[in-house]
Amino acid sequence: MRTIRRVLLTGGGTAGHVNPALAIGSVLAGPETKFLFVGVRGRAEEEIVPREGIPLKYVRASGFPSALSLETIRFLANLIMGTAQSLILLVRFRPDVIIGTGGYVSAPVILASSLLRKLGLSQARVFIHEQNAVPGKLNRLVGRFAHQVLVTFPETLSYFPQNGAHVGYPLRKRIAGIGRDEARQKLDFSIPEGRKVVFVFGGSQGSRVINRALVDALRYLLPHRDSLFLVHGVGLYKTREYDAVRDTEERLRRQYGPVELEQIESFYLRRAYFHNIELLYALSDLVVARAGAGSLNEISAMGLPALIIPKSKLPGDHQVMNARAMERAGAAEILYEQIAPVNGKLDEFIDGKVLADKILALLDDPHRLEEMRRRSRSFLNQDALARIERRIRGTDAEPLREFIPGTQPPETPPLLGNGALLQKLERALAEQGSAFRPETVIPDPRDLEYLKSRAGSLLTSASWQQRNLGVKLLGLLNADDKLPALLTLFFDREPAPLFQRLLGGDFKQVGFIRRNIMTALIRLNRLTPEVEKALLLGMEDPYYEVRAEASRATAFFGDRLSSPEPFIAALQRLLKDRVIEVAAAAAESLGKLGGEKDVLPILLGLKNARFWKVRAAALRGIYSLVERGKLTDFSLLEKEIPDFILTSTDFTPQFEIKSAYSRLMESVSEKKEGRAQ
Amino acid sequence: MIYFLGRYLHPHFDSFSFLRLVDYISARSIGAALTAILLTLYFTPIFIRYLHRRGFVDQARATGIASASDKAGTPVMGGAVMIGCILVSCLLWCNLANPFLLAVLIGMVWFGVIGLCDDIAKMRARSGDRGMSESKKLLLQAVFAAGLALFIVGPFSPLPASQAGAFYVPFLKAPLFNSIWFYSPILFFFVLVVGNSVNITDGLDGLAIVPSVFVVGVLGVFGYLLGNAIWARYLNYPYLPGTGELAVFCSAFAGAGIGFLWFNAYPAQVFMGDTGSLAIGGCMAVLSIVLKQEALFLILGGLFVAEAASSQIQDKIGIRWLGRRIFLRAPLHHQMQHNGLAETKVVIRLWISAGILALAALATLKLR
Repeated sequence: MRTIRRVLLTGGGTAGHVNPALAIGSVLAGPETKFLFVGVRGRAEEEIVPREGIPLKYVRASGFPSALSLETIRFLANLIMGTAQSLILLVRFRPDVIIGTGGYVSAPVILASSLLRKLGLSQARVFIHEQNAVPGKLNRLVGRFAHQVLVTFPETLSYFPQNGAHVGYPLRKRIAGIGRDEARQKLDFSIPEGRKVVFVFGGSQGSRVINRALVDALRYLLPHRDSLFLVHGVGLYKTREYDAVRDTEERLRRQYGPVELEQIESFYLRRAYFHNIELLYALSDLVVARAGAGSLNEISAMGLPALIIPKSKLPGDHQVMNARAMERAGAAEILYEQIAPVNGKLDEFIDGKVLADKILALLDDPHRLEEMRRRSRSFLNQDALARIERRIRGTDAEPLREFIPGTQPPETPPLLGNGALLQKLERALAEQGSAFRPETVIPDPRDLEYLKSRAGSLLTSASWQQRNLGVKLLGLLNADDKLPALLTLFFDREPAPLFQRLLGGDFKQVGFIRRNIMTALIRLNRLTPEVEKALLLGMEDPYYEVRAEASRATAFFGDRLSSPEPFIAALQRLLKDRVIEVAAAAAESLGKLGGEKDVLPILLGLKNARFWKVRAAALRGIYSLVERGKLTDFSLLEKEIPDFILTSTDFTPQFEIKSAYSRLMESVSEKKEGRAQ
Repeated sequence: MIYFLGRYLHPHFDSFSFLRLVDYISARSIGAALTAILLTLYFTPIFIRYLHRRGFVDQARATGIASASDKAGTPVMGGAVMIGCILVSCLLWCNLANPFLLAVLIGMVWFGVIGLCDDIAKMRARSGDRGMSESKKLLLQAVFAAGLALFIVGPFSPLPASQAGAFYVPFLKAPLFNSIWFYSPILFFFVLVVGNSVNITDGLDGLAIVPSVFVVGVLGVFGYLLGNAIWARYLNYPYLPGTGELAVFCSAFAGAGIGFLWFNAYPAQVFMGDTGSLAIGGCMAVLSIVLKQEALFLILGGLFVAEAASSQIQDKIGIRWLGRRIFLRAPLHHQMQHNGLAETKVVIRLWISAGILALAALATLKLR
């Protein structure tokens, strides 16, 4: 066993990185041990670390930039500067052990220590603890320089094949077994006996989506007020865009009358922040929370069933990955943030009724809750701190690449990225045609649900390419709950910037997006009055591909349209379109709509159309009329249609040798199969 | 070689006096054209069978137009045999010490080799969309363009010192400006644009080669006239001694081009591939530059300009940036097909247009 006298802790930015570092530090403490904490000025560590009586020094650091930009230069400058500062700190403090808990804060210290080690100036052993299922970019990078990377989730080991070790999450000591009665006594408010307690919170800062959803959900929870008690940690977040407490109060008063409010107060308690969260954990029957590694581990340590609402659009979608790990273990259920129109703008959103139903369904099923409770307790191993201590003190070093027994992650193929998913879906669509179902590509319904929500979150992206990708994915994934979001995007007529308009641009939701929304309407196959409105608008769109696709979509809905007249009139206008692709699409679509009286004369009138593609489309339209049994008088038809084949400027070539070749090959392969059987 | 042999033999031996003919550019031009035609007619079928055996055949590209996919399996790299025949013919009939000629030949081969690498990369990847990366190709082309700019405006320029930085436009006698600092960047981008324009045009059977022959043929006429003091003065052009030799090259090119068309005509038995199209683009660019006819190329090579411009506007401005198609389809010939014209009709109509443009360019000779 090594003696450890000098410990350097580093990590921070948020409490989620600082607390694990302090927890690890606490088990290494001895009478002789000296600590130094290295962090960044103005972040969470400035608040928390001095309270623990540990000296704190600052270095410069900033987060890994998402794209190449001015940020990149700032990042590199900070990294070099921070590493230089760390060199000085390391030479002065001469630590035996360095413990980094991530965030970008620990990167310069670890780089500096590996520099010193190369020069033979330092013997410090370096440990990194990774809290999330998907490690941050910087942790992935500096992980190579560490002696061991201690991870919380077994899935994470694949990122550190050389030096990873699965240990679990170092929890603060005070989150530990407190009995219900003890908690009830210590609490500074009272919860009526016999109520089921649901604790809802979105981390210390609070979550806008959860707060708003819970206020909306109260309406549906109100009838159950005699058996239910809600505790809501609203959060401390307070900026100009969103003030957690004020927004929640206003929303409450806007949505509920005085009588209702009074009823609500009888089963709903809210505070900006709870200082003794462990008491609430001890009393809860169900927790509704975000999926930060800290929250999940506390929930698991307390053995609580959870309804997790992971925050979307984080780097590597790490909250979702955390939540999915817990869901796979059977300890939690997930509710994904959805994209939906909020006051005419697309935003992340959870429907209050969906949240209420989910809470009630869980509470109504005690067996399921008990099962989740049991699995939650074993989801994350409980003695992570002991395990970490053994590793750092060197009594338990080999083998490194291991899982804690019984936590082997199930073999799940990694989820596809959005681009790759689109390719795969499009290929499947091309192969399977009308039999295509997204389930054939994504068999796991839980994966499918997540992918739908992820595709939806693309709709609010700043880049039109990403929004367009989202539109295509939603159509192919058959996400019909996203129909309102797609329509909101389609009806959004915000103009593009002037210099783009001068070059042929029109709206912020560019032509491709609008065209692909029309295509998605076909895939979603749901006809509402709003959809009909969109089709009519689409046929008047300034961009020709939208007009053509809207005509095709109109034809697809065909007889299901509430009244065909306005559609026939719109299609008839499109026959004169200056783009023949549009005119042809309109002509073909007309055949799916009306009958002998209204549509046939229009289509027959196209017999002298200048372009053969329009004439051919008209013939296909008339064919549809015949097939749909709309025609009674065939003599007129027989008299008129020969006029259509004036001449054509195109033909399809046929290579006789190629058809002979393929006939031969087919016959050979048939014979071969026959012999094989 | 015949040129050098003739120059050596006829002054010394009376029996070889008929070899005086090699002193005449016109005679050598005819010889070069005939040689190139015969060579291509002989070697192309052999080469086609060779390409087939080696599997150097066209990999279909996802354009969504049926007639293209029908032809998947046609050998590419036919341009290689064309370039080879031009080189052999030039070796026989040209004065290889002529710096103009050398610049053109180097340009053609440089671009041809880039195309060759691209073709081979596409074969390896078994996909028409995955050749050499666009940026790599552009970089290699830029190296040549920069080298050419240094050569033209530098101390070893084959042009008279007063002409090195001159930029002429059609219908004007005097240069628009004469400054190597303005001229060099124009030259640089001209090489890149023209060098790639044939590649973009080469999408249908016979579409690229016939307009190329028109363009190079007209440039050959320019070379012949500008390299002749009397004609140049009569037509009010700057006299560029030595460019007459380019007429021989252009004839060889026209011969090889017609020989290639023999096999490339619809339905094609062989495609020129990037090897051919980049090589043609490269030599057209150098020809226009050494003859000081960069601005004329807008008319003369109007078809290539339109094809390249439509393709780039569609892709770079429309699809990548504005999020919409600006043309129904691009390049131009796809647009015509999309509107319902058969491939053969598109090709012949574009030939006619290219011919009209070539005649218009020729007409500017006297209109100054």
